[in-house]
Amino acid sequence: MKQSPEKKETAEQAEASLSTNYVVRAIGVKKVYTMGAEKVHALRGVDFAVRRGEYISIMGPSGSGKSTLFNMIGGLDKPNEGQVYIDEVDIAALNPVELAWLRCHKVGYIFQTYNLITVATALDNVMLPMTFAGMQQADAQDKAIKILERVGLGERVLHKPLQMSGGQQQRVAIARALANSPSIILADEPTANLDKKTGLQIINLLKELNMTEGVSIITATHDHKMLDISDRIAWVRDGQIEKFQKRSELEIKEGEMHVQ
Amino acid sequence: MKTENEIMEIESLPLGKIISITCKGIKIRIWRSLIVVSGIVLAIAFLSYILCSDGFAQNVSKAAGSIVEQGSPEKIQELKDQRVQTYWMVGLAILISFVGIVNAMLMSVTERFREIGTMKCLGAIDSFVLKMFLIESVIEGVIGALLGVLAGILIAYVEGVFTYGSGVWSLLPLAWLLGVVAFSFVTGVIITVVAALYPAREASKMMPVVALRAEL
Ligand SMILES: Nc1ncnc2c1ncn2[C@@H]1O[C@H](COP(=O)(O)OP(=O)(O)O)[C@@H](O)[C@H]1O
Ligand SMILES: [Mg+2]
Repeated sequence: MKQSPEKKETAEQAEASLSTNYVVRAIGVKKVYTMGAEKVHALRGVDFAVRRGEYISIMGPSGSGKSTLFNMIGGLDKPNEGQVYIDEVDIAALNPVELAWLRCHKVGYIFQTYNLITVATALDNVMLPMTFAGMQQADAQDKAIKILERVGLGERVLHKPLQMSGGQQQRVAIARALANSPSIILADEPTANLDKKTGLQIINLLKELNMTEGVSIITATHDHKMLDISDRIAWVRDGQIEKFQKRSELEIKEGEMHVQ
Repeated sequence: MKTENEIMEIESLPLGKIISITCKGIKIRIWRSLIVVSGIVLAIAFLSYILCSDGFAQNVSKAAGSIVEQGSPEKIQELKDQRVQTYWMVGLAILISFVGIVNAMLMSVTERFREIGTMKCLGAIDSFVLKMFLIESVIEGVIGALLGVLAGILIAYVEGVFTYGSGVWSLLPLAWLLGVVAFSFVTGVIITVVAALYPAREASKMMPVVALRAEL
């Protein structure tokens, strides 16, 4: 950590150009929301890189720009400035169909409010991305049932979201995010609407998937339960990344953490 | 990008598949769909009723006295004078149908912006969203307009029996009646599809977050 920032950046760039070690890279990303005459600088130039298989948490107070960053690196919204690469593809260069392809195959999204299709069963929700990927109905059904069993919902396959608890709905969302075996799972405040115990179960499930499937996980959160299992934490404040911390650096300060 | 082939695969999600997804969607929200359809039925029933009644009035004044057995001559003269009034009644009927259907369709699409945003997150391409709403609105438009035409004409004839007596059955030439059916039906379907496609196209082009955020 004694390295100068400049040196570190060039090292990172060299590594990136050597291989596809990074699943996500954001360079100088800025986002301004315009509300009438007022301008909100939600992101003020963010550099961010996630290695393959990494579990990274974006931490920061409410309104600091976590969701905005989440949307940018997931290709759900356009930055005003800067580039975002997903699997080394500059997403600004993609046409709408290619962008849809990327969302379909490369990224799984999990939201605070689950965003399930409420009128459809858990099974149909999980099958939908597979249908968009062009998978045959029968294959999709088999795979969807397997994934639902994997997240502990084997008994709830034909239930609709509103017949399930929040934790179960979030599991459906996780299953749906896994549908096309993405390289990245993006989760925006996945535990914010859940009680402590259920939240912890969801966090553990995400970690387990990260370990077993090797899928990179990026969570935007202010849930400190997330700290224990993240490989790295990006602290965001006021539209900027204040610092990156590895878990090892974190454990020393854990006492402090709880005081905070 | 090495993914070119698979991109083609998304693009060519077969129409049959989209139709089956859409029909499933209509079925699982059957009550919502029925409310939308009943909005169309009402609007088109009103339109075809006005057109049909107007047809009666026009034909009565053409063949005043000869066809109508039970209607009094004073009544017929009165109907003749009302011709100018009925013109704007027809105009009004078209306007009311238009507003009624546009309102029903706008609501049914905009209340699903969130769903559109979610689908786009899951990899739906713009044209899928558009086709889904196109198919849905065609189905709703055809069913609604058909039922509406039937209801409107039925009501017009029932009322006609009271106004003109049994002569009403031969009052309208068949071609005229078919004209009323065709005009009301086509108007209903076109308004329905256009009213659905406009917001659906806007929503399909939005970035997913924008659609997710759009609360109306
Ligand atoms: N659609 C929007 N329009 C205007 N301002 C927005 C919008 N979304 C977010 N913001 C603003 O951008 C800043 C960052 O928001 P957000 O990324 O949602 O933060 P977080 O997820 O960390 O709570 C906040 O000041 C918020 O008010
Ligand atoms: Mg947020």
